[in-house]
Formats: sequence, structure tokens, C-alpha cells
Amino acid sequence: MSEPVRLAPPTLPRLLRGAGLAVASLVLLLYVLGPVCWLLSSSLQTEREIVSIPPHWIPEAPTLRNFEAIVATGLGRPLPTAGPDPASGGFIPSTAANLLPAMLNSLVVAVSIVALNLLVAVPAAYALAKIRFRGRQAALYGILATRVVPDIALVVPFFLVIRKLGLLDTLFSLIVTYLAVTVPFSVFILTSFFEQLPDDLDKAARVDGCSRVQVLLRVFLPLARPALVAVGLFAFLSSWNEFLLALMFTQTAASQTLPIIVASFTSDFTVSFSFLNAAGVLAVVPPVVLAVLFERHIVSGLTAGAVKG
Amino acid sequence: MATISFRGVGKRYRNGVAAVHGLDLEIAHQEFLVLLGPSGCGKSTTLNMIAGLEEITEGVLRFDDQVMNNVPAHKRDVAMVFQSYALYPHKTVFENIAFGLRMRRTPEAELRRRVLDAAERLEITPLLERLPGQLSGGQRQRVALGRAMVRRPAVFLMDEPLSNLDASLRIAMRAQIRHLHAQMRTTFVYVTHDQAEALTLADRIVVMRDGAIQQIGTPDDIYERPQTVFVASFLGSPAINLLEGELTSEDGGLVFRRGALAIPLPPERAARIGRVAREVVLGLRAEDVGGRDSGPTLDGRVDTVMPAGSDLFIGLKVEGLDVFVRVDKQARISEGERVSLPLVGNRLHLFDRASGRSLDEAA
Repeated sequence: MSEPVRLAPPTLPRLLRGAGLAVASLVLLLYVLGPVCWLLSSSLQTEREIVSIPPHWIPEAPTLRNFEAIVATGLGRPLPTAGPDPASGGFIPSTAANLLPAMLNSLVVAVSIVALNLLVAVPAAYALAKIRFRGRQAALYGILATRVVPDIALVVPFFLVIRKLGLLDTLFSLIVTYLAVTVPFSVFILTSFFEQLPDDLDKAARVDGCSRVQVLLRVFLPLARPALVAVGLFAFLSSWNEFLLALMFTQTAASQTLPIIVASFTSDFTVSFSFLNAAGVLAVVPPVVLAVLFERHIVSGLTAGAVKG
Repeated sequence: MATISFRGVGKRYRNGVAAVHGLDLEIAHQEFLVLLGPSGCGKSTTLNMIAGLEEITEGVLRFDDQVMNNVPAHKRDVAMVFQSYALYPHKTVFENIAFGLRMRRTPEAELRRRVLDAAERLEITPLLERLPGQLSGGQRQRVALGRAMVRRPAVFLMDEPLSNLDASLRIAMRAQIRHLHAQMRTTFVYVTHDQAEALTLADRIVVMRDGAIQQIGTPDDIYERPQTVFVASFLGSPAINLLEGELTSEDGGLVFRRGALAIPLPPERAARIGRVAREVVLGLRAEDVGGRDSGPTLDGRVDTVMPAGSDLFIGLKVEGLDVFVRVDKQARISEGERVSLPLVGNRLHLFDRASGRSLDEAA
């Protein structure tokens, strides 16, 4: 007869380790979610409530007036109500009217970057993954090496080229430079993904009558949906959040993007935190919506090629 | 109609390694040709060159009279079945089979008719709406066959299509492939490392090694008259017994000697060989014992007795070598016993030890 297996009682070091992990997780959670929660909460508060001590994590008198003020200034309409509180229009930033146009600019640039990224990176990645040509490895490393250079080092050369081309203060200048910055990563992710797909699929499709382009469009692209989503989302977020290049290349509302306008709200003599945070919430909405919509694909896309299948 | 002709064809990679070299081969219309050899012998490369999936770096490949070297895969009238099946995971069985026809803009009614016909022949009609991931290995295999069949190609290529199936299914599929060839009446080129598949299916077998052809012939030629030690050892199960020794001239005849073992060759074999006193390798297949009692014999001590269903194999120690032979199932032989087994003298294979080439062929 064998003895029944008994689980050893948890020892003190194990308990301490578990407690330590739980505390560390909680701290990390607060660190990540705290600012987001405060942003959301304060966007629904009046300026007076925001600066009250202790702060109110849950608004006592939630208001949408900050958002109404954003829409009203953007559309050039009179502010919803007048009064001493910034949330009701007391201290609207001088560049507030540019917020909605900037959001549109950001959207145009980000959508263009997603489309162009896919247009450029998909064929490049397919070629790197499935076509054996001289210099293939060198090309892949060359593309990746461009990402070793920090963006700050590229700002001045980019600026000189953009100015020479007469593209300063245009959305096109942002699209061109963001594309240069995001494409290498997109190529890398997609190459890893395509490499995972069996060579025999490529061969079977060619024997079945597909040209190389048709193999890509009819066989590989439908299978690459997770990687395409991951790459698209990465390109969108990179473009949506970009600040440095936009600060250098844009000067007027014609081309300024959301981060530039939101940042400009802090350069007035008085800062309206309620207005600023409402703008922050608006800036967060599109990426969050995209992330929620495609959440299922993101992880599988980003880990493509991480392990051999 | 498609005959395939290789003239001095080779495939050399940029690092200088030649996967295939100096390939001269004619494949007749409607022939079932099997490329047989171990891994890395160049058989799949040869098949891929026919398909247009591998660039030809030397020589000329023709389909009938047309030079095909630079014709891309999608413009060649070939269909191919892969070892991995290579079904499109996102398409249903129906769409997998129909894909090649869609690429060739076959009218929908005709496409549907052909797919349903192939599905019926392969008994996969109930699976048409499933995805490949929902099929067993055998079912995927049949879908892959169907995908190639519906195209009605001039050349049908198969790259180890049965390797991933279990043994019993493999034998059933062999019969189905043979049947398919009879029905389609088109040229089949089939790659395998499985000699049993090659012997069962082929009209002719091409045995390859290190990127070159070792021997071309009917299954009977290849098995009964191997031109090299390699061919002899690659075919046959259990593998042919190879005994190194000397060929000497004695009393007007030829005798194979290895230590105390002496096997006199029948006079007609001696006449074909002609030359003597050379170092040779004697090839003896397991089934080559059991001749007339007056013929040469193989003497040795029984090391192992291995019943195998319909057969009885015994392992002998002969002059320090292990020799496996097949004997009458009813034979009463026990381990440790000394036996003297009659040989079929005409079936013995003799090879030059240095070159590995058959002495019969050299004569």
C-alpha cells in the first residue's frame, strides 16, 4: 500500500514570497492605472473640485461641461455657460479652438501611416521571408539597424530635408517621417510572421497558378491577420502619440497634431486642469477603442516568431 | 501530352554546393517515374525544378520540345502534392480543391462539377465544407490529391505524399495513387525514400545519391540487377547482405572466397564476369537461399531466429559477419546450430570493391 500524497504546508518563506508578489503587483497596478483613473475622474470635475484637498477620486458633482467647452470652442460656438469656474469657460486655453482640428490632423496622419505601413511593409516582409535573394539577410539587418538610431538624432537631418522640400507645416511632412520611423518595426514583425508560415504553402499556391503577388494577396494576407492588426495598431499608436517630430515640423493649426495642442494648453499663464484632462480623455479614446476591438489579435501578432512553431 | 527531358541539368547554390549535377533523364508521356534515394540525394530538388520552384543553374529542362528553365511555376501545367499536404488553412476543403481552377478562371459550373467529381472519387464529399484543421492526416492527404487532380495537369508531381501517414493507410493510399495514375493517364513523377513505395508504384525508378543518378530502370531491373553496391543496399528488406572477399580462378571457374567461406559461381556467371583475382563485394539477398542442394552453400552458425509472420528470418555468423537470410517457415532451426544453406547462384551480386560498381555491368 502506498501512502497517500500529502501537500506540504506552505512554509514562511513561501508565504512571504506570495505576499511580496501581491504587494508588488498592487503597486504596479496603482502606478499604471492611477494616472488614467485620475485623468478620467478629473475630466468630469469642476476646476474647484480638482484643486480641492484631499482630492476627490469620485466626483461629487460630475459634469460634462469640460467636454461641452471643447466642442463649443472647436466649432466656434459660444461657451455653454459663463461663470467663474474654468470648467464653465472661465479659463479656456488660448489654443483650445485648435483641439478638434488637431484631432482630425492626428487621425489623418495615423490612418495614413497605418495604410502606408501595410502597403510598404507587407511586400517587403514577404520578400524577406519567402524569396531567397542575394543580400536578403543584410537587407533585414539594415532595416532593423535604422531603429537603433534614437529619434532625437534624426530630428535635425529630417528638419533640414523637410525644409528643403518646402514641406514644413504640412501633414505630409509628418506622414513621410513617421513612415520612416515605423516601417522597420512593421517589416520585422511581419517578416517573423511570414517566416512561420510553411514554405510549402507558398510553393503550393505558385504551382496552383498564383504569381508571387497573388500568393501574397490570396494566401498569406488572409493568414496574417493577427500580425497585420498588431502592425497597424503599433503604427497608429506611434503616430498618434508622437510629439518630438510634430513639434519641429508643425507651426500652425493646419498641421498641428493632438499632442502638440494638448501640450500648448499648459503654456498659458493659467492652466485649466479640467479642460486639459477632458482633452486628455479625448486623446486616449481612439487608441483604447482600437485596442479593445483588436485585443484578441494583438498578443498573437506581437509574439509572432518569438518561438519556433 | 508531356514528356520531360533533362539534359545535363544541375542546381548549384551560391555557396558552391551542388544539390544536383549532370542530370540526364527522359520521362515518357504517361509514365509513372519514381525518384528514390536517401535524404539529401537531390530527388526533391529535381522535382522542384520540374515544378519551377527551384532555379536551374546548369543544363536544359524541356517539356516536350519547349525549354522550361525560365518558365515560372504558375505558368507550367503541373500539379503537385506535398509531404506536408500544404492545404490552405483558411479555406474550406471545397475551396482548397477549387483554388487552382479559380486561378485559371474556370467557369463556376465546370469548377463545381470537377470538384464534386474529385471529391466523390476520393470519398471526401462529406468533408467539403470543413477546414483543413478539422481533418485527419489521411483526409488531408486525399484533399491534397483532389486539389492536384481537378487541375488535370500535364504533369503530376508528388513529393513524399505518404510519409506522414501510418503504415496501414500508406498501403491503402498507394493503391489509390496507382489507380489515379491509371485514370488520369498523365505523366507522374513521384519522390520517395521508401523503397517499398517505389517498387509498388513505379513504371521506372531513378535511384539518386549525392545529387547524381545511380541507376535508372524498371523496379525489376533495380532490384534484380543493381548496378552499384549503393543501389543494392538501398533496396530490399531486410537489407542485402554484403560480404567483402576475393574472386579467384579455380579449376576453370570463379570462386568467391572469404576466409574459409568459398562460393563457386555458376559457369554462366563466370563467363559474364571474365576477370579474376580482384577484391570484390558479394551481395546476397535474404531470399537468395534455398537453391538446389547441389549448388553452392552458405555455411555458418545460427545466431538468431526471427519469425516474422509469413516468413522466418535467421541471423547467421559467417566468417565474422552477420548475415540475414529467409528460410522456409517450416524449417526447424535453433540458435547455436551450424547450418549449410543452399544458395541460388544466379542471384548472387558481385561488385568491384573499389568502385562499388557491378561486375556484371562492367563485363
